[in-house]
Amino acid sequence: MRLYETGFLVAPGMTEDEAEAIVQQLAEVVAQKSGRMIRIERWGKRRMTYAIGKAQEAYYVFFHYEGGAEIPAELARRFRQMDTILRYLTVVKETQPNVRKKKKAKGREAGEPAAGGESKSPEEA
Amino acid sequence: MADEKKGDRPERPERGGYKKFFPPKKKFCRFCQRNIKFIDYKNADVLKRYVPDRGKISPRRVTGTCSFHQRKLAAAIKRARHMALLPYVIE
Repeated sequence: MRLYETGFLVAPGMTEDEAEAIVQQLAEVVAQKSGRMIRIERWGKRRMTYAIGKAQEAYYVFFHYEGGAEIPAELARRFRQMDTILRYLTVVKETQPNVRKKKKAKGREAGEPAAGGESKSPEEA
Repeated sequence: MADEKKGDRPERPERGGYKKFFPPKKKFCRFCQRNIKFIDYKNADVLKRYVPDRGKISPRRVTGTCSFHQRKLAAAIKRARHMALLPYVIE
């Protein structure tokens, strides 16, 4: 089980209701594959920074969900079949702790015993 | 011989020019300052600051971003470009 975030752009040549129907249709995929939908982010119609095909605008939608790897694969398969999806992007959310912090903590642990060893040596002498 | 040559040379002028009066400002990583772990490709407003007029990613030496965050930032900018939140080129 992993956290995923899938964003996609729906073509602008349709009403909001039609776009919403597509979103609901895709959201069902997550439920079917026994995933847990955390939230659906809808930005609405938004101007893109460059034209894709002839479209200047698109409906931006982002799915945040948890589940197995078959969910993003199935979503990608559907996206590719649909002409109304201009772009899509799936990102695996990092849930592991930061590597940098780990390193720092290790350094501290390593530093303390070493310091203890140093304090002992004068006593021995 | 080398010593004689050194002696002939006029003394080096003090480190001067504009640098004396306007020392360069120390750069620092804005992400480290705010203790940010993940850079999200969706907030294009933040990413825009690291993409000047031409649309290229600013180098570390210009912005002062640390290597850890520069890597995250570059990935986020590339993702944002794919989703048409940032441009690939600006003419």
